Amino acid sequence: MQKKNTISNNQIKNLLITTIIGVGILSLPSNMATILDNDGWAAILASGLLIVPFILMIDRLFKMYPNKDIFEIGEEVLGRVLFTVLLIVLLLYTIITLAYGSRIFGEVIKGYLLDRTPIKVIIITMLLAAAYISRTEIEVLGRMATMVYPILIILIVFIAMISIPKGDYTNILPVFNADFRLLPKGILISIFSYAGYEIIVLAYSASDSKGDTLKYVLRGLFIVIGIYLITFFSTLSQLGINQLKRRIWPTIAIANEVDLPGYFIENLDGIVLALWVLIVYTTIGPILYTGGKTLSYIFNTRSHDMFILPLIPLIYILSIIPDNIISVYENMGTILGYMVIASNIAIPFLIFVVALIRKRRSKA
Amino acid sequence: MLVSKNLQENTQIIKDTLRDCDDVVYRNIEIGKDKTRASIIFIDGLVDKIVISEFAIESLLNTEDLKSNLGNIKANIAEKASLQHLAIHDVKEEEDLNKVIDFILAGETILLIDGSNKALILSTRAWPARGVEEPQTETVVKGPRDGFTETIRFNTALVRRRIRDPKLKIKTLKVGRRSKTDVAIMYIEDIVNEKLLKEVFKRIESIDIDAVGESTTLEFLIEGNYLSPFPQTESTERPDAVAASILEGRVAILVDNTPFAILVPTTIGTLFQSTEDYYTKWPMASITRGVRYVAAFLTVLSPALYIAVTSFHPGLIPSVLAFYVAASRVNVPFPAVVESFLMELTIELLRESGTRMAGPIGTTIGIVGGIIIGQAAVEAGIVSPLKIIIVAVTTISFFAISNYEWALSLRVIRFIFMFLAAIFGLYGVMLGIVILMTHFAKLESFGIPFASPYSGLGLKDGDLKDTLVKAPPQKLQYRPKFTFPKDKRRYRRR
Repeated sequence: MQKKNTISNNQIKNLLITTIIGVGILSLPSNMATILDNDGWAAILASGLLIVPFILMIDRLFKMYPNKDIFEIGEEVLGRVLFTVLLIVLLLYTIITLAYGSRIFGEVIKGYLLDRTPIKVIIITMLLAAAYISRTEIEVLGRMATMVYPILIILIVFIAMISIPKGDYTNILPVFNADFRLLPKGILISIFSYAGYEIIVLAYSASDSKGDTLKYVLRGLFIVIGIYLITFFSTLSQLGINQLKRRIWPTIAIANEVDLPGYFIENLDGIVLALWVLIVYTTIGPILYTGGKTLSYIFNTRSHDMFILPLIPLIYILSIIPDNIISVYENMGTILGYMVIASNIAIPFLIFVVALIRKRRSKA
Repeated sequence: MLVSKNLQENTQIIKDTLRDCDDVVYRNIEIGKDKTRASIIFIDGLVDKIVISEFAIESLLNTEDLKSNLGNIKANIAEKASLQHLAIHDVKEEEDLNKVIDFILAGETILLIDGSNKALILSTRAWPARGVEEPQTETVVKGPRDGFTETIRFNTALVRRRIRDPKLKIKTLKVGRRSKTDVAIMYIEDIVNEKLLKEVFKRIESIDIDAVGESTTLEFLIEGNYLSPFPQTESTERPDAVAASILEGRVAILVDNTPFAILVPTTIGTLFQSTEDYYTKWPMASITRGVRYVAAFLTVLSPALYIAVTSFHPGLIPSVLAFYVAASRVNVPFPAVVESFLMELTIELLRESGTRMAGPIGTTIGIVGGIIIGQAAVEAGIVSPLKIIIVAVTTISFFAISNYEWALSLRVIRFIFMFLAAIFGLYGVMLGIVILMTHFAKLESFGIPFASPYSGLGLKDGDLKDTLVKAPPQKLQYRPKFTFPKDKRRYRRR
């Protein structure tokens, strides 16, 4: 039978996919189109591929220290003090990501489903619901992700399908026409859409067959890249580059514009958004879980569930600070762009390099 | 306390323990030429009196051998009597007097002979019992029609008849300080996973309760999460279902006095299975399974969606339909929420009164409640006709789910969804769904994830072939993964 607190590699893959894909999928196509025009896909692809070496590093790190979780490894490599400082940075990033995500979630739900409900109520209910799953252990996150994954795939296939009959494929052209000096800027923005991949550092040590976890994680990452590319091309073909640039959430916009033959449901955006709630839940939940686990390490407690509820007011207050959605994307988005690089890229890199040096030295 | 050699002492202790129990019968006889005294003790009503009279008392009194002087064989007279003179199919020796009393209470007959420190337990159990009948709840069109009864021995026999394998084990435990109910645990030794079996034994042995009347009490006591509305065990009235389940590596728990067997572990996948699926060709069985999943969604969600769409998002449905809905609700004085709760509670009322009253009265209640009240409510303008349709769909869906406990729990949570829909519309329904899914992800049945195979366990090992759909047996070559069976292969093509 299964051991406690282990998850299968397939569940890790699903967890990775559902955690990464969240609020970003709604705005990513228009953000990319604004910077790189028709070649926005290049930034999506490039930033996705940029994650690969870091995943390899994390994999290597766990192979170097088998049967240890990330906190034990970090402490052994960097020492408790330095590692705690880094974790506090990571925690800050986690809180801001959650605030950003739940604010955008609130804006979208208010905009499309509940126009008379205060946004604060929407944010707080979502955070409380997410608290329920983040108080559990990693295997529950894995199971939940596995249940949501087929729904996500159906949703994406659905979005791709509905754009086929009405899409104008000349809209995708011209390719390779943009100024590729803007690519780094595009990557800086789109890398945030891959935030959340850090959940694998918690999942890695819980895998029930550690040998081929890497294969599943990479497969998960490529599925995410594929999903993002499909959304980009469907929105682009459906709306055209000029419209795409002007929309904040083009992914919902295209769902709104189709009529299914023999339809029963008129506005598909309602259905798409309803399913999107699931996807956001499986993003906020695991990230909140990461925050709880980090605090649990810092305060040296056995379980993490007591830290979840105190985090929620903090996230909530941060989330309602920006005045409007533009400010959310401009200010919070920019702060987060740098923080993603600091926490998701620099920290694994640092741990990996120090670990590598230590191993060399101990051998010599 | 041990049985002493003095008959007088033994009977006195038994009489003291069982004083004021007027259904206990003490029959004293004298056997042999030297008139060795013996006592036969049993409870009237629990034994077969003819067997006692003809095959115990008569053979003891009339045997030529025993008529002679018993002096030389007195020490092992009990053994001799059971070997040579009792025409009873099952005779045991017992030295512990407390156990002897337990045997009396269980319906056995006790033979105590003066001078022997062993009591003989004669198996004479026979009490008024219902015969094997067709199950009331899980009827099938094509398939065996025998169902469990209230007597545990008949039930184990019904399963044994289907699996003539020496590896089929039946272990009996006693549960309940006072009731001392027999609980039989059935499994196939070389299929079942040891950890699962150990967990089952551990949970049943750790129960300290005065009485276990029937299987449902035991079910509640061995569940992992007793606050959850969802059943973490499955119960069935069908021996064929039990046989098929233990062949999948599950464990069956039979409780005396109940025509229901408990099956563990239970997952969402198994709760949607029905015995009928296995007696139908695979395409139809698969469609029926799909229908059952749809029914579950409708049971939980249809009233909530009605509230959400009519009060929050009329724009979601086609305008023609939206206008029709609005027009039908124009005379209804209540908001959709109140209307929904009113009708859903009425149907609960009807269901409850219909279930308690069987036969012609039940039918009358159905007609009065369903047709007259429904029709009258619409004509009086209290509810909209659409709401009546929603209520009917919800209730019919409820009956389409094969597992009764599971259907009931889904039926209960639809009220929570109605509340959420009344407050937050479609967003509220989705909040309910994510919380429900998380609850399913958290729930475990004897260490097995409840949401299997949809939550991952067995997903890649073909468990979907017998949960989401029903594949033909040739395609179900392996036992399901969720039980972690030791012997994985089920079917091999020759």
